[in-house]
Amino acid sequence: MEEDLKTSAKGQILSIRDLPTLPKVLDEVTRLVRDPSTSIEAIAKVISRDQVLSAKVLKMVNSPVYGFPGRISSIQHSLVLLGFNVIRGVIISTSVFDMMSKTMEGLWEHSVGCALATGLVARKAGLKDPEEYSVCGLLHDLGKVVAAVQLPELHKAVGEAVRERDLRWFEAEKAVLGFGHDRINAWLAQHWHLPPNIKEAMSSHHNPERAQLYPLHAAAVHVGDFIVRAFEYGSGGDDQAVPLAPQALTTLKLKLGDLDSVLDAFAANLGEVSGVNFAPEEA
Amino acid sequence: MPASCLFSRQQRAMLLSPDPELAELLRGLWDPHEVEWTVIREGRRAMEAIFNEPPDLLVVDNRLTDIPSVEVASIVKSENVYRQLPVLLCFDPEDLRRDWNWCEVEADDFLVRPFSAREAHERVLLTLCRASRAMDANPLTKLPGNTSIIGRIQDLIDRKDEFALAYCDLDYFKSFNDKYGFSRGDEVLMMTARVIVNTIRSFTGVKSFVGHVGGDDFVFIVPAHMAEEACQRVVAAFDDIVPHFYDAEDREQGCIISTDRQGAVRSFPLMALSIAVVFNTGGRLKHYGEASAIAMGLKKKAKENPKSSYVLDRRSE
Repeated sequence: MEEDLKTSAKGQILSIRDLPTLPKVLDEVTRLVRDPSTSIEAIAKVISRDQVLSAKVLKMVNSPVYGFPGRISSIQHSLVLLGFNVIRGVIISTSVFDMMSKTMEGLWEHSVGCALATGLVARKAGLKDPEEYSVCGLLHDLGKVVAAVQLPELHKAVGEAVRERDLRWFEAEKAVLGFGHDRINAWLAQHWHLPPNIKEAMSSHHNPERAQLYPLHAAAVHVGDFIVRAFEYGSGGDDQAVPLAPQALTTLKLKLGDLDSVLDAFAANLGEVSGVNFAPEEA
Repeated sequence: MPASCLFSRQQRAMLLSPDPELAELLRGLWDPHEVEWTVIREGRRAMEAIFNEPPDLLVVDNRLTDIPSVEVASIVKSENVYRQLPVLLCFDPEDLRRDWNWCEVEADDFLVRPFSAREAHERVLLTLCRASRAMDANPLTKLPGNTSIIGRIQDLIDRKDEFALAYCDLDYFKSFNDKYGFSRGDEVLMMTARVIVNTIRSFTGVKSFVGHVGGDDFVFIVPAHMAEEACQRVVAAFDDIVPHFYDAEDREQGCIISTDRQGAVRSFPLMALSIAVVFNTGGRLKHYGEASAIAMGLKKKAKENPKSSYVLDRRSE
């Protein structure tokens, strides 16, 4: 029975055609792409604040059509390789959530917060290409967004379980669905030919010790997720703190004390992302 | 109005048909300077002429009595050197009552009696345009290939346009291929093509062109004053992206280390882009060959630098 649910849910998840986003960033990018002289850097900066738009460009550039599936994990590179026409096409074909946007705003804030925190953790750990880690942080809960769109009834049931049984979202998913958004992430990353580092971070951020090939990415996102929750910025669907896996810090060669400066940097930089208000402007 | 991409030179078309009305109709569609028709009433007789001097378009009437029209088409299309020759079939309405296996017939289009002069005119042009697009595209990147590149350059030279012609190729592509295999090499070529195309296209409102000569050789054409900036942007984007096409270990160490056939350990840097740019200012170039000869000389200079680099031919200024 559980396997049946998993199979049908997987089919539902992977059949997603139109992943909507929130209006704020979309409107901003729409303005930018109207002017063909806008630089790719400017567009990349804005798209990097939206998990759905970022996922869309990464999915497209890594699709076999372009001939190098699974190679590109940077938004900036994606945009250079897709080119202005294709970017504009992606932007104009993206719709916005017409409901649930309140719940989604929390998830969006959580997502950009985690991108920022993960990038800072990667810098603190002295890792190369910290931007790559930010992308992993940005996409770490994409499975929750896709589940909300493709499995609305189940998504609602998970939300009820969170409230009624005082569970973390991840625990409630397992109670209701039998699997968590980490699994959904893995399906999506696989299906969309996302690079293996992003895939592993998306699918192992709750269990970074299970990461096989890219333990650093999974560990950095795990710590990033911990930090953004500690700051109570945005919402991953519940208001509980996540336990910090000590193994993640070991993997990153960081000590608990190292997190102090990461937390300081996070607080100092949060203004930059929290300025992104995901709520639509009052009409 | 002729399709402007086609009539830079006279098109040679051949009609195989016993129907004099069809011949008359087709001949009446264009001035002979634009399209010159050779009409042959029997299919078999035409084969040698087609093979010796392939026309730009072959129109085959299904009313041929000595050989089925589809056989003519398949003889032409089964030879790799003639495959690109577009074939248009002419049918009577009853011919369409049976099912056609277009995978086997390999024609490019068809016309049905009673013919309309307007439709025939447009269909012939469309078939020619489609063929010129498909014929020469690089099979990997789908960018225009050598014939289009040479045609474009010669056309610009003939019109005495001022332009910059850039030849790009990859350094250490071979060592990458040797280590990672051809399909990973193709990934790099696809990436390179996208980088060049998008960078060149980001210069809006100017005439530009990107072609793929083959292998790791690409060309682009931009207005002369933009050449240097185009080179800088292409090189910057390429250098930024190419490390990600290596495995993490090689990316970290910044080179490929391999053992050659003599057992010696050698290291090869990450791939780099070398660009040589030739300018046609003041109508100095007369022929395509001059441009490529100058570029090949410059390329040697660009290659002396193991990092991505470009060399501009300033002799013209």
